[in-house]
Amino acid sequence: MNPMDLLPEKIEHLVHELSVLPFNDMEGTVAGAAVLTNYTFWGIVALVTTILIFTVVARREARRIALAAETGSAAELAPRSRFTSMIEAGVEFIRDMAIDVIGPKDGPKYTAFLGTFFFMILVSNFYGLIPGGKTFAGSIGGTVALALISLLVFVWVGFAKNGFIGYFKSLIPSGVREMSLAGRLALGTYIFVLEFISTFIVRPLTLAVRLFANMYAGHIILGVFAAFTALFWPVLEEGLSWSIGSITVGAVSLVFLVLMYAFEVFVAFIQAYVFTILTAVYIQSSVHASEH
Amino acid sequence: MEALVPGLTAIGKGLAYGLAAIGPGVGIGIVGGKALEAMARQPEMAGRVQTTMFIAIAFTEALALLGFVLTFLL
Repeated sequence: MNPMDLLPEKIEHLVHELSVLPFNDMEGTVAGAAVLTNYTFWGIVALVTTILIFTVVARREARRIALAAETGSAAELAPRSRFTSMIEAGVEFIRDMAIDVIGPKDGPKYTAFLGTFFFMILVSNFYGLIPGGKTFAGSIGGTVALALISLLVFVWVGFAKNGFIGYFKSLIPSGVREMSLAGRLALGTYIFVLEFISTFIVRPLTLAVRLFANMYAGHIILGVFAAFTALFWPVLEEGLSWSIGSITVGAVSLVFLVLMYAFEVFVAFIQAYVFTILTAVYIQSSVHASEH
Repeated sequence: MEALVPGLTAIGKGLAYGLAAIGPGVGIGIVGGKALEAMARQPEMAGRVQTTMFIAIAFTEALALLGFVLTFLL
């Protein structure tokens, strides 16, 4: 049998595997029903893992700081294990990013919030790279939920810092606010509508779609290379004809599979980073709204 | 006529994403190249250039993603 004949079937299977399915019954559909889906399950697993890691590390850090205060030696402050050191470096990375983007005064306040986003998405994306695992960022529902939380927070910060009216006023640039009445009415209304759409619709939409598209497309690419390897490598599927040419294709797709996997590890990190930094930028624009 | 619909839809899907990827592809190339240039000129600014670069890339990429979504909507 020609391996290419089996390819559409494999691709269909791949797309089915990546769609949202009930966790206990992989064949069914979830049209509007509130059931535990495979993505929800892996989202909960990622959440529990993140909470566990940070609880353990925070306890260790607290114990160490207490010990350092007791003995009075600064050497006790250094992390003891590589794991604790790694998590500490990650938290410092987020704190420095928050200070860099939001500002030295307001930045540290949002470190916990941004860190939650970053590590939650990162851990989930790494779960998605384990065969059989899923990242909740691979379903549009999961990323929309994250983007809505981001939207709520930056709008809330805008209201808290500038007042309800003040935040909406700040959507219009200060140059327009100093114009004559006719200018304010005409240009102000136009810019307000434009800015309103861009802030409340385009921002969360692009946040959600960016994360979803990157993870989904990445998994599709990995799946396609895996399917090619399975079809053209003669040992893996029974009853397929093979030749030197097909073995070459199989070997090349196996090499590409490994390379793309490495690239996906990088993408998992970069997408978590991009989501976090964009949330930080949006919070920054809310904190300093009156200056724009 | 009816028989043409699935094929034309498939072509449309391919075109929607393919065309949507041209602009952002060029854009991200320019952003990355300029950032590299800036980092080579002033290595001490590399951290801040990188941060700004990621933000710029994210905004440029959004256009390609709209095309990606359109592909699924078609």
